[in-house]
Amino acid sequence: MTAQAVDPAPGAPAPDAPVEHRTVETVSSKAPVILAVLTGLLALLLVAAHHPGDVRFALGSSHDFFEIPVIVVPGPVVAWGGVVVMAALTAVAFVLTSALRRHVPAWVTVPFAVVGLVAFLAWAGAGSPRDLSITGLISGAIALSIPIVYGALGGVIGERAGVVNIAIEAQLLLAAFTSALVGSITRSPWAGLVAAMLAGVLVALVLGVFAITYRVNQVIVGVVLNVLVIGITSFLYSQLLVPNAQALNTTPRFPRVGIPLLERIPVIGPAVFNQTVVVYLMFVVTAAVWFGLYRTRWGLRVRAVGEHPKAADTVGIKVNATRYRALLMAGAVAGIGGAFYTVVSIGQFGREMTAGAGFIALAAVIFGKWDPLRAAFAGLLFGFASNLQSILSVVGAPVPSQFMLMLPYVITLLAVAGLVGRSRGPAASGVAYEKE
Amino acid sequence: MKRTTRFAALAGVAALAFAACGQAPEQSGGEATGDAASSDFLPCIVSDQGGFDDKSFNQLSYEGVQAAADSLGTELKQVQSQSETDFKGNVQSLVDQGCNVIVTVGYALSATTVESANANPDVEYIIIDDAADNDFDGETDAPNIKPLLYDTAQAAYLAGYLAAGYSQSGKVGTFGGAEYPTVTIFMDGFKQGVDHYNEVKGTSVEVVGMDQFTGGFEANETAKTTAKNIIDQGVDVILPVGGPIYQSAIAAIQDSGRDVALIGADADLYVTDPSSQALVLTSILKKMDVSTEEAVQAAGEGTFDPEPYVGTLENEGVDIAPLHDFESKVDPALVEEVEALKQQIVSGELKVTSYLAE
Repeated sequence: MTAQAVDPAPGAPAPDAPVEHRTVETVSSKAPVILAVLTGLLALLLVAAHHPGDVRFALGSSHDFFEIPVIVVPGPVVAWGGVVVMAALTAVAFVLTSALRRHVPAWVTVPFAVVGLVAFLAWAGAGSPRDLSITGLISGAIALSIPIVYGALGGVIGERAGVVNIAIEAQLLLAAFTSALVGSITRSPWAGLVAAMLAGVLVALVLGVFAITYRVNQVIVGVVLNVLVIGITSFLYSQLLVPNAQALNTTPRFPRVGIPLLERIPVIGPAVFNQTVVVYLMFVVTAAVWFGLYRTRWGLRVRAVGEHPKAADTVGIKVNATRYRALLMAGAVAGIGGAFYTVVSIGQFGREMTAGAGFIALAAVIFGKWDPLRAAFAGLLFGFASNLQSILSVVGAPVPSQFMLMLPYVITLLAVAGLVGRSRGPAASGVAYEKE
Repeated sequence: MKRTTRFAALAGVAALAFAACGQAPEQSGGEATGDAASSDFLPCIVSDQGGFDDKSFNQLSYEGVQAAADSLGTELKQVQSQSETDFKGNVQSLVDQGCNVIVTVGYALSATTVESANANPDVEYIIIDDAADNDFDGETDAPNIKPLLYDTAQAAYLAGYLAAGYSQSGKVGTFGGAEYPTVTIFMDGFKQGVDHYNEVKGTSVEVVGMDQFTGGFEANETAKTTAKNIIDQGVDVILPVGGPIYQSAIAAIQDSGRDVALIGADADLYVTDPSSQALVLTSILKKMDVSTEEAVQAAGEGTFDPEPYVGTLENEGVDIAPLHDFESKVDPALVEEVEALKQQIVSGELKVTSYLAE
């Protein structure tokens, strides 16, 4: 056997230096295939693990305008009905992409996802004597996603400006610690919130000094910051907070503030409109970050220094100053997410209580294709996956708890591994800018 | 560079399982070394990932060693583990410092303890919550390890009976940090107690959340949502098993605005965390402090015996705490029944099954 093709000698000068190709999104036939696979998997699940009995969907809560009784339906019937609808939607998607060369529109994918979810829940909850609370599912999903959403928004701003922020975890953790401490001392959750934002800014500043000013590899700085903050907070926790738990680690929490009328809407009312101010703020901040990045002069400049800093520099934008400003703002946003752990959720700090939410937030940035709205949505999705696991094991679904605990991470890995289509980050993200 | 981000995110997510990695062991030099002490016997203790301030498990064990050291007139050495990768190094460092007896807290340290014990036959080891029997032949794997085990199912049985009797809604809940045998033994015993109540009284009190685990021992939103989902099912007593996750349960109870009673695990929550007092119905006690103290004391007096110790209601290694503020809210007849049950379990008339007592 002889080699058929001879590689060009290593190091031989290529005629042109390889130009980095920018892909333009085209109509892809991947989406209908994914829909078909999902439909098939669900059908397979229904066949392989037949699970008879009724499922009890609880839609209401005691505060609604009108009481919705618990809906009791036969699980397998609903599940199979769902599979039929999903198959029909998949067929529509195939027709649209192959015959009409159109994207799979949202009016196919969104109902597909909803029907698929209902079918899955009907399968999982069948035969359980317990109510499957839809309100609980949604409100828990929102609660679990809050730090992820804030962290992801912070990540998006930083990366759009060209600074990779691996240290979201550090920002969340230090912010959680600081807000517990300040909240406990001042007895005010608002003071805790402000302190948390400052803590997020502090981490961002350290990241900025090394990554922007000293041009150290941004990923390495981020990783080091994560480890550093884990160490500092754990140390201070055991030396300072534990011996003085009553004075330093018992912060008042934000009360829930119901929005009149809206909170009484069945199903979503208690979940969305009876929350703490930090949750409402999340919706505002998400919209504001989107508006800021895409509709203001500031956003244009941020994106310019993230995509092509040299070009930005030539037209007179101060690249590093713009990056610093963006990074510090991102730190404040991530800091609010950290405050959630203490001044909203539990009321006290615990060692490494963020448990990796910052890394999930980083995944949400990529899953969301560096777009604030999509990243926030990705954060909600991860929160939803976590809560789904919890709700399903309460109703006693026939899924092993270990598998369910794995679910959010599996979804994250699939998402980051590029299953959602090609995602392309800002071109200059992670590259320090050096003025020539 | 965009690849870098994706790579970093992948690595970060993959590393979640090891979220606590990469940190040097936190070694305390605060406790003076053995030289200065009046006795040169050196008792040492290594924690698992919870740390000695976990208000449960590690803390109780530490207090036991501390008490023994005090009465022996000696100092102790302690090392906290931040992650599983620390175990080996921490135990080895204690051996190197000349410890006479090393207390390893938690079944996660089992393999490390056995390995170290076989390599250092002169050092005595006390392992808490594990039989140190990794080849499952029914024998401790090294002759110089004394396992301290706790059949908490017996105490949890009493708590389950009490909870079932106390519950107005006919639903009680439990959830755990992770599916370890030392966690599920509480939940199983609790369930058996509820079942027994149903049998005796002809009621049908349900236990919600028997296979509900938060996936970790952090008091965070995951644990809180888990507790909330269980409370949403209408339970009015909840038993969180696993160190600080009870704090999340407290927050969930407060947010629910309902009257839900809490059952503590390991230590008497009413005492260890005064902020919980209004909610604590009782606690399932696992008296690691007492048995650890006795074992270390014995080692210090040269009477170390490697016979496994199993804490039961009979030898008071496990128990349930007083009702404190709930005294007035619980029917005295129910309290008497629980007391009678306790006697039945002690006398062997009533069997509570668990992995320690088939």
